[in-house]
Amino acid sequence: MSLRKTLVDWLDIRLGIRDLLEQNLTNYLLPRKINIWYTLGAVLLTLFGLQFVTGILLLVYYVPDTEQAFASVQAIMNEVPYGWLIRNLHAVGSNLIVVALLLHMLSVLFMNAYKKPRELTWLSGFLIFNLTLVLCLTGYLLPWSQLSFWATTVATEAPGAIPVIGDDIVRFLRGGAMVGDATLGRFFALHVMGLPLVFGLLVGVHLFCVRRAGISRPPFGEDYQGEPPRYTFEHEHHPGGIPFFPNYAVKDGAVICFFLAVLAVLVFFAPNLFIPPSAFEPADPFVTPPRIKPEWYFLWAYQTLKVFPSELIGLGIQGVLMTLLALLPFLDRSPERRPAKRPLFLVCFVLGILAFVGISVWGHLS
Amino acid sequence: MRRMGLAGLLILGLLAAPLAVWADEGSCIQCHAPQPGALGEPVALWRGSVHQGNGISCHGCHGGDPTLMSMEAMSPERGFLGAPEDSAVPSFCGRCHVGVEEDYRASAHGLALGEGGPQCVTCHGSHAVRVAGLDLINPQDCSRCHDYGRAGELRTAMEQTETLILALDAELKQLRRIGIAVEDWQGRLFALRNDFHRLFHSVDVDKVRRQTDTFQAKLAGMQDEVAELRAELNQRKWIGAGVVILLLAASGLFALLRQSYGRQENTE
Repeated sequence: MSLRKTLVDWLDIRLGIRDLLEQNLTNYLLPRKINIWYTLGAVLLTLFGLQFVTGILLLVYYVPDTEQAFASVQAIMNEVPYGWLIRNLHAVGSNLIVVALLLHMLSVLFMNAYKKPRELTWLSGFLIFNLTLVLCLTGYLLPWSQLSFWATTVATEAPGAIPVIGDDIVRFLRGGAMVGDATLGRFFALHVMGLPLVFGLLVGVHLFCVRRAGISRPPFGEDYQGEPPRYTFEHEHHPGGIPFFPNYAVKDGAVICFFLAVLAVLVFFAPNLFIPPSAFEPADPFVTPPRIKPEWYFLWAYQTLKVFPSELIGLGIQGVLMTLLALLPFLDRSPERRPAKRPLFLVCFVLGILAFVGISVWGHLS
Repeated sequence: MRRMGLAGLLILGLLAAPLAVWADEGSCIQCHAPQPGALGEPVALWRGSVHQGNGISCHGCHGGDPTLMSMEAMSPERGFLGAPEDSAVPSFCGRCHVGVEEDYRASAHGLALGEGGPQCVTCHGSHAVRVAGLDLINPQDCSRCHDYGRAGELRTAMEQTETLILALDAELKQLRRIGIAVEDWQGRLFALRNDFHRLFHSVDVDKVRRQTDTFQAKLAGMQDEVAELRAELNQRKWIGAGVVILLLAASGLFALLRQSYGRQENTE
């Protein structure tokens, strides 16, 4: 008897592992017409896993102290074996994650997969997206570079526009009047412990929702019948579908490898695409570097705030937009999922993307 | 949901903001910048200068207390020196540029100070000071006082070494841009360039020629060290190319497998 079989038998008797694998892999059937966009969830899990591993490795050498943080990152980049690779994977990977998250959300929007009964899946995913942005923001400060210092100064300044409590929020975020030791301490704690804990929980909820409700059918093709009305819980089965493993898992594998190849290209050949020069200068509270801009995924928000005469109006409009997006499944209650039958939604979808890109470019050039 | 909306609003507030924060540049700039004419012009000229780039503000040269928002900021008790007389300029600048002042004072230029000879500002300007380079030695400027001939010889003697310095400086900046710790090299190059430029202030062509080999040998040593690092960086790229090819091959293989499963599914 082989060692593998002995081990599986041992686990099977105690945990019913064969049944579990069958239920979730080989007998877990997916819609026959499932497309490539459905692989983005697996891509994101892989990229988040990579962030987790590289983050732990960086923690070994990173020193969360304003006097030593920049030097410790320099040491990681120049002295620690493969430190440059680990750091670049972590820094560039975070940008790729935002790209994959945006694609994932856009594909869900386009296929109207957020609709009943998947409102909670959408909501947990939307929270994961926002939490990822907060993780990016808190991680931004840790190298204690000019970019870190000034980007964080600007970002934490924004709530000051809120009447009455604005200044208190700013002080709370910074741990004082200025970005300094206290800010670095709390951002570090949030980035490596607080936020990942909440993040892990949310990912668990998201995956539970996906698995429990079942994978949605792509709303395309002549044989697509539309969604039947639901009044009780019902897992969406796909009789005659394709097994998740190995049939669809190989597609996941293909797209994951493609994304990792893109990451490798960026890390080895263009690591600075997402890292401006001020990221390589130590933080200096007395010298404001020229042309400090937020990361590309915050440019739309940055420019929106500049367009309005008051920051409070800008913040309010952004808040309303994001709230509408979060609550979309509760507002858009029509059961129709075929994009071709929803011209108004399609127009809003395209205009939304164009506005995001256009305002971001404007923000970059302004 | 209402709470979540507020939380979303707050999160967005944190994530996006206008860049309206500027470092406090001190009372000198705050008061002088808006003023017309000679009182405000120096601020505009100083912006973008090598001094500004290195954090040297008004009080670094003129003294005074930039933390005071009153005329007392410009009182002698606060160390205010004001603008120096022409003949006092070398001492004024020489407080920081010690070696340069020493060579200048021993040179024909320095010996003619007060008798029509040039001082620092004659060639370098005052507030819009740029990084000193060989372009400062040119027929237009030098001919204001004397024939260009000797100055041209000096420039030719310095040109090759200066070109090497500039090339190495550009190389180090590129390396810094990708996160390589080049501070040590940059410090050594800075010191070497200073020594070399200090040499110019002696305006002694023979001295420049005699010492050029020493400077070039030091530069060659640094170039070798940088070349070694470049080789390592190129090796990383080769490894990177290999990783990318392997990942793309794996992606292609998985895609082929998927096609094969697809054909199998269609026949079932």
